[in-house]
Formats: sequence, C-alpha cells, structure tokens
Amino acid sequence: MASNSRWADTEEDTAAEIHRKREKEERKRAKQLKAQQEQEAREAREAQAKATSSVSTDIDDRPAKRRRLSGESESNEVHDEQPRPLLRFTAPGWGPSRRIENFETLNHIEEGSYGWVSRAREMATGEIVALKKLKMGNPTEGFPVVALREIQILNQCRHKHIVALREVVVGSKPSDVYMVMEFLEHDLKSLMEDMREPFSPSETKSLLLQLSSAVSYLHSHWILHRDLKTSNILMNNLGQIRLADFGMARHTSNPPPKNLTQLVVTLWYRSPELLLGTTTYGTAVDIWSIGCVFAELLTRSPLLQGRNEADQLAKIFATLGIPTAANWPGFRRLPHAKSLALPSNPPPPPPLRSSFSLLTGAGAQLLERMLALNPDDRPEAEEVLQHRYFQEDPKPKSEKMFPTFPSKAGQERRRRVASPKAPRGREADAGAVGHVDFGGIFSASQDSEAGSGFNLKFR
Amino acid sequence: MAALEVKNSLLANPLATPEQLSISSSQLDGVPADLERSIIHAGQKLIQYAGILLRLPQEIITQAIVIFTRYWVGAEGGSLLDIHGAKDISAASLYLTTKGSLSPLSPRSILTVYAYLSTLPSLFLTPRNLPSAPDPSTYHLTEGDLQRRRLALFSAESKLLTTLGHHLHVALPHALALTYLQSLSVLTGFSPQGAAVAKRAFKHLNSCLFNPQSLYLTQQPSALATAAIYLAAKEVGVRLPECEWWEVFDVEREELGFLVVAMVSFKGWVEGERERWGERRVPLTREEIVVEMGRREGGVEEG
Repeated sequence: MASNSRWADTEEDTAAEIHRKREKEERKRAKQLKAQQEQEAREAREAQAKATSSVSTDIDDRPAKRRRLSGESESNEVHDEQPRPLLRFTAPGWGPSRRIENFETLNHIEEGSYGWVSRAREMATGEIVALKKLKMGNPTEGFPVVALREIQILNQCRHKHIVALREVVVGSKPSDVYMVMEFLEHDLKSLMEDMREPFSPSETKSLLLQLSSAVSYLHSHWILHRDLKTSNILMNNLGQIRLADFGMARHTSNPPPKNLTQLVVTLWYRSPELLLGTTTYGTAVDIWSIGCVFAELLTRSPLLQGRNEADQLAKIFATLGIPTAANWPGFRRLPHAKSLALPSNPPPPPPLRSSFSLLTGAGAQLLERMLALNPDDRPEAEEVLQHRYFQEDPKPKSEKMFPTFPSKAGQERRRRVASPKAPRGREADAGAVGHVDFGGIFSASQDSEAGSGFNLKFR
Repeated sequence: MAALEVKNSLLANPLATPEQLSISSSQLDGVPADLERSIIHAGQKLIQYAGILLRLPQEIITQAIVIFTRYWVGAEGGSLLDIHGAKDISAASLYLTTKGSLSPLSPRSILTVYAYLSTLPSLFLTPRNLPSAPDPSTYHLTEGDLQRRRLALFSAESKLLTTLGHHLHVALPHALALTYLQSLSVLTGFSPQGAAVAKRAFKHLNSCLFNPQSLYLTQQPSALATAAIYLAAKEVGVRLPECEWWEVFDVEREELGFLVVAMVSFKGWVEGERERWGERRVPLTREEIVVEMGRREGGVEEG
C-alpha cells in the first residue's frame, strides 16, 4: 500500500469516494488474507500430519507454498508485508472414460428406473462397487437426457448421505455406458421387508435426520430429487444411509420454473399437487415424499398404497382429509381439480397420530406438517432438521450403534418387490385422474381406528 | 499457497495438463499445428454462429465452445482425421450442451442450421459478405438426409462424452467479472463508464473462447475475469486502484500479464487467419483436410 497521491491529485472532486473505495478494498483484502491464512494454517497442519505418516509424499508440495511474487512488487512490498498467499482453485482434469473390462461383475442387484444395477469388483484394486448400466431408451434423442442430468448432478454433489459417483465407464458398443458408484449393502425397502420389528424410535430418528440432511443439501444447491422412496435410500453396515437414483432429479430456481412435468415421483410417494397436475412446483414435493418415508419407517409398510392416480388421491384424502379453500387456497385451480367430486361436508378423518401409537406428540406434529395437503404448509428440509422431535428423548441413535443385517445385494439375487415404478417419460398416462367421485371415501375408515393394544418396544 | 480442490464448482474449471497441451491426437496423425489451430477456430465459430441463429443464450454457446475445445487436446483427445471431424463434434457439442439445459433443441434444428452454415462461402463473416436472402433449397434436409445426419450426430455425441470421460462441467467468468467490477466500485449507480468497462470486459471474455492459446483450458475463471477487467479499464480509461488489486481475486501478476498479452494479440492473429484463407473455406472434415494437406505438400514441392 504505497503512496497513492498521484491518483488522488488527478481527481480531486472524487477523492473522497476513491478513498472510501480504497478502504473497502483494504478491508476486503484483509478479510481475504485472514481467510487465506487460516486456510494456510489448516494446510500446514494437514501437511504435517501427512509428513508424520509418510515422509516422502509431501516434498513436492513445499516449494509451491513458499512461492512469492516476483519482480518489483516483491522488492517494494516485502519490507512492510508478509508475502501474500493467493487461493488456488484446482479441479480434477479430464481424460477418456475407462473401459468396463476393468471391472468384474459379481451379481445382479436390481433393475432401477433408468438402468440395471449390479455388484462388481474393480480388478486392479479389489474394491467392490455398484455398476449401473444405462438404458439407452429413445433412438431420436441420442444419449438420454435423464442420464446426462443424473451424471451431472451426482458429479456436483458431495455429501455424506448422497451416493458417490466415482466415474463413468464404457463398453465396446456406444450404447454400453456404466456409472460406477460406491456399493452399499442394503436399501431401506428390502431391509425393512426382512426385519421382524420396525426400526426403533431412536433408529428412525437417526435415519430421518440423515435423509433430511441429504435433501437439505440438495435443496440448498437448487436440486429437486423427485423420486424419494425407501428403495432409493441405500444403507451400509455402518448405519449410514445414502440417497441414490437421481434419474428424475433436476435443477430448479426461485421462482420455480414453469412447465415442469408432473409425471415424477413413484405413485405412493407422490404429493397431492402433482397428482392434481400442477406444472409449477418446488421443494415441497420432496418433503411430502420424506413424510411418506417417515411413516413407512415407523410401520414398515408404505402409508398410501394407491392402485392408480385416482386411488392414490382417494387414499390421501381419506387419511389426511379433504382439501378445502381454507386449508389449501387455490387448489381448485390445479388442472385435474376441476373434475374432482368432493363430499361437501366430510367428517374429519381420524387423526394421523392414531395410526402411530409409538410416535410422540412432537413426532406426530412433524409427520403431519410434512404431509400437509397444501405444499406451502410443509416445512423446508432445513426446518425439519431443527424440529424438536430430534431433540427430545430418545435421542437419534448414533450410526455406530446400528445393528448389522445380512446383505441381500451382496449375496443373492434380490426378490422382486411389488412397488410401482417411477413414471417413465411420455409413455405414462398424463392426466389419468379423470372424473372421480370421492363421495364414499370415508365409509371404511372407521375400522382403521381400532385401539392400539399394549406394545413393548426397545428404544 | 492454499489450494482448494473443488468439483463442479462455479469458481473452477478442470484445466488441461501440461502433457495434454504438449501434443494433440491430430498432430500425432500428421496435421500441422497451424492448420489444426485454424480448423479448431473454424469449428468454434460454427458453434457461435449456429448458437446465434438458434437464438441460444451466450452462456450455453460458451459452454459448448469450451467443451468442443477440450475434446481436441492431448494424445488421448479426438483427432481431426477421425470419422467425426471438427464439424460433427462442433454440432455434437452444441447439441449436448443444450440437451441438459433450459433451452433444449431438436437434432433437426441443429442439423438444419449446420447445413445452412455449410453453404456460406467463408466463415470470416462480416455484415457485408453475408448472403442477404438465403435460398432455402440450398440447405433443406430431406428426411433421408436428416436420418443419416442424426445418426452421425448421436455417434459424435457418444465419442465426445467418452473422450471427455463424461465430464461436461464448465464454469464461466462472466458473472465473476461483474462481481469484481462491483467490488472495485466501477459498477456503481448508472455510471456510463462503468457500463462501458463491463461491456468491453465481456467482449474480451467472449473473444477468449476463440483464442488459439485455449485460454479457457489453461486459466481459471477468476484469472480470465480479472484480466478482462484490467484490459477493459485501460481501454475505456477508467482508473483502477494502483495497488495489486488483482491479488484480491487470487490472480498473480505473471498470470495477469500473460492473459493481457494473449487478449491483445488475438486481433492480429484473427486478421492473419482472414488473410491466409481469403475466400477459401477452412477444411472441416477428414476428406477436406486430406485435400488441404496434399495441396500444401504440392506447394512445398513447387516452391
């Protein structure tokens, strides 16, 4: 910061402004410097830690850190200032995709919405990975746009609870493209099918927290998952879950983009606004799905198992009540809402919490908010993380304390599960809800409210 | 020096390694380096012109040009003498970039525009030498043509993806440049000078896309943005602080100097190209390149 008199002299009238500018600049730099010094210190600590473990590797980082400005700036500045470290960004470079021959397939795991998944071993390292072979669907499209989005989005995501995409490898035909992902032993759906008891309250809390943190990360990066369900939530033997299958995911914006397809999310996890044909929606569709997953974790069976779109809506309304102008202003304007024949004076449905005898008041309140008919009433994923349900006893179980289970994916061919598939592109029947009479949806609801007996449960 | 490893960040691009910059697949196949530069430059211009005709945002055009440029770099990159030459890969880059974006295009739109661009006598366009009323019959694609070219487009797309290892991330410097100008208090209120600097800086950033030194493959967005501002402010006559303000944006003096020289010298290079090719079209397919290389050898023997 040498003299700047020449600069100030020439523009006397703006000198004050320039001074302000300069101060701002200095403050900014000071801040930057501080951040960099901290970064530097961190680096140094890491380097030291590395040095203790392996002496040879850190030699080549050293000169870079000592690099200084050359030329006159050095001779001018060095007296009064430390050499200023600059922040360097590095991103991994690019090179051709490796070949599938580097991997050896061990066993088939399952067929997902956009590909076949199998367990494989990388021959060079012996590491076990999951290989997803992409389905090259549409011959007029070339490389499928859904796969392109999934690869780009997974490349962008780095989160403890989102599955890591390691690389994309190719086979001999142009249509042979495989995503190489970390392998996890279980998915929540098949895991729960084999459990004699549902997850304990503290386990449920931990799983829900992990899931919500992943979704919160996605939403804060402007990504909608649009296919959250228990079979897309993978789990390893360390009690950690990873969100997978981003074939339906896309970027969003604020305000949300117009003309999004409503043919997303597997039917049982699909929110009422999607079923009513909205084309502008946001993060609330994912929150609804988390609500459905939450309920499923508590009981081991999906909460709302509709046979088709109309039946799904009927089940939603029977369980959670009828939308009204009061609890969901504007729902009548949604494309398929016009053809709904709703009972004019419906009896209120039994409270949701009566079906979940083990759930505390706070838990039931969270579930009810996530399953609010009106998307605007659902909490953000970030709010879910802060909910008092997670603070009250029993506390979320530490991942390390989770029990382990025999892995189906790792040992044998998975049983086909009778869960509806995620909707597929244009072939699905848009607006299939049609004319439906919901007059009688409460006739059978009385049986379901049978009193819950005594239930002993480990926490 | 602090190094921050980031993946698909808005602040960082994957950069070409020194090995990738030292040799290219085309050069290994015998294409002279200067001819290679001319051809890649022409392929980049095809994307820019097609993008304008298709009314695409410059953001998408820029990403497509960067991806196209990455494809040719290094011994493991694509060769101009492959089945899929500069023209196919150029169309595939644009198609692939629009596909995942908010403005997707059909293969038909892109292929038709490329067919139209093939009818132009030269790609060194000025408003004067553009045909005023193009004749649609010269670039109309029959269903048969379309079918064939679509398959070629998909095949080039697949080659492009495989060669880049399915990494298509591109971070752009334009928004950074605006932020930097704001922090330098150049863009305050409705200062016409500030706006002029911003405009000029954007022009430099867009010109860098076509720079034969592949600046988007060798420099991070922060360096590009800083150099463009430095040069633009000099040209417009706006004073910037006299201290090393570029260090605030993590740019070294040498980097800045290199980039400014590269940006300033670009105009001369393009004029040289224009003179060299005159009315001739730059060869864009394997066949055309082979003819051009034969012509050059003939010329050498004569001289």
